[in-house]
Amino acid sequence: MSEPKPRLLLIDDEEVVLDSCLAILEGSDHEVATAPGGAAGLELVRTFGPDLVFVDLKMPGMSGMEVLEAIRALDPTIVCVVFTGFATISSAVEAMQRGARDFLPKPFTPDDFRSMIRRGLDWRRLLVEAASLRREREALRENFAAIVSHELRSPLGAIQQNLFVLLKELAGVATEDQQRRLERMSTRLSDLLALVNRWLRGFSVDFSNLKDNFRPVAIADPVARAVENAQPEATRKAVTIEAEADPEAVVVGDAGTLAEALLNVIGNAVKYSREGGRVEVSAVRRNEKVVVSVTDTGVGIPEADLPRLFDAFYRGQAATSSVGGAGIGLAVTRRIVEAHGGVITATSAPGRGSTFVIALPAAGSAAAPPEGPSPGQVSKGEAG
Amino acid sequence: MSERKKVLIVDDDPDFVEGIKAILDTEYDTEVTYNPKDGWDALKRGGHDLLCLDIMMGRGAEGVMMARKIRKDPVLREMPVLIITSLREQIAFLFPGQAVHPGFVPVDELVEKPVDPDLLLEKAATMIAAAEARRAAQ
Repeated sequence: MSEPKPRLLLIDDEEVVLDSCLAILEGSDHEVATAPGGAAGLELVRTFGPDLVFVDLKMPGMSGMEVLEAIRALDPTIVCVVFTGFATISSAVEAMQRGARDFLPKPFTPDDFRSMIRRGLDWRRLLVEAASLRREREALRENFAAIVSHELRSPLGAIQQNLFVLLKELAGVATEDQQRRLERMSTRLSDLLALVNRWLRGFSVDFSNLKDNFRPVAIADPVARAVENAQPEATRKAVTIEAEADPEAVVVGDAGTLAEALLNVIGNAVKYSREGGRVEVSAVRRNEKVVVSVTDTGVGIPEADLPRLFDAFYRGQAATSSVGGAGIGLAVTRRIVEAHGGVITATSAPGRGSTFVIALPAAGSAAAPPEGPSPGQVSKGEAG
Repeated sequence: MSERKKVLIVDDDPDFVEGIKAILDTEYDTEVTYNPKDGWDALKRGGHDLLCLDIMMGRGAEGVMMARKIRKDPVLREMPVLIITSLREQIAFLFPGQAVHPGFVPVDELVEKPVDPDLLLEKAATMIAAAEARRAAQ
């Protein structure tokens, strides 16, 4: 397969410039298109798909600067060079800020032009390569979950399974010390498996496939499940959870992951509550939305940490210990909420408590995600 | 004294299989196949009371394909299937150890790898007893 010819686009209102450029390029190994103005030029950016664009800064109608910005918004890997009638430093600087790679003062010699094309196309190759590397890295990250889950979890699981059996078989046969060591091995392995799982969840679980299982879900169901699962820890800390859910509030989604998202938030509220504190959970339908809010009377979150609260842990540890450990759960929560077309926000008064609000499109509203295709299976039995 | 029930294990990880086979051996006759194809042939020969099925086998979720095949079979679809998987099902993540029915076949439950020996025996006994009760009621 031969390499496609590099594509050049020249945008200039002066016909003589376009003509002389075409003359220079005659017989060269490029596909060339020209446009007499910004609007026509942008149209060609879309249809012709240039690798390198030369733009005149001073044109009637759409200015060169606007063209630069529009091209950058369309595809930042397209390389732009500006023609400048009078090469002032300030206009050149401004053009570079708006995405131009270089500038070519008029008048220029054929050699100037050719060497600018060479440099521009070299840069374009680098940009395209970098973009494809980035895509590859993203794909790797997405696949990471699958790779790690099989390659790492399988052997760990197999070892643990056999330890379970050994512990049972050797009960009464092994010495107390041997038994204790086996138990330690099993405990450490459980910790390791739990770590891998937590890490995996936070790192690269792809929630986009969730949409295949979307069904109408009364929000009261995941709320009840989440509260039930947060209850043991709440009981230990003498924290009261009060939950109220409007039975008419229905969203389109996946009940299991919604419960998981809610459990993360409610669990945090319990975790950061003082002994004897209260956590209030309410789920109501408000216009086109189903709004779940979780309010605690706990230690609160410093204002500076709020914007980063939902970032995945690897993007930087929140410095204060008061939010330490919340990173993974909330990042996962946000991804689940967003997969449902919703938004999660947090407000807090340090020392007095926090409120987390999850707003999901109500079933039947315009913003509600579509239901997944019918799997053609027997209906799922519900857990517990 | 009734005859021992027969359990078929289909899982491609021999080490893991040893781990659950040793548990099930204490109460059941066990048969093992290491891929869905042999597993299907074994099922077709008949005589099993429970299938313990791994999901991630071979080049992907071949266990699910096997479950679908079972679902379409007028005889085999009556058999209880215990899904044993390291695939982290969302629901299993939330409710470890609780009854979870993936809905791959008419009667199934799911436990996660590694599985606690007592939980495994309890699940197996419950599922086999329920299947017997269903048969008796027919």
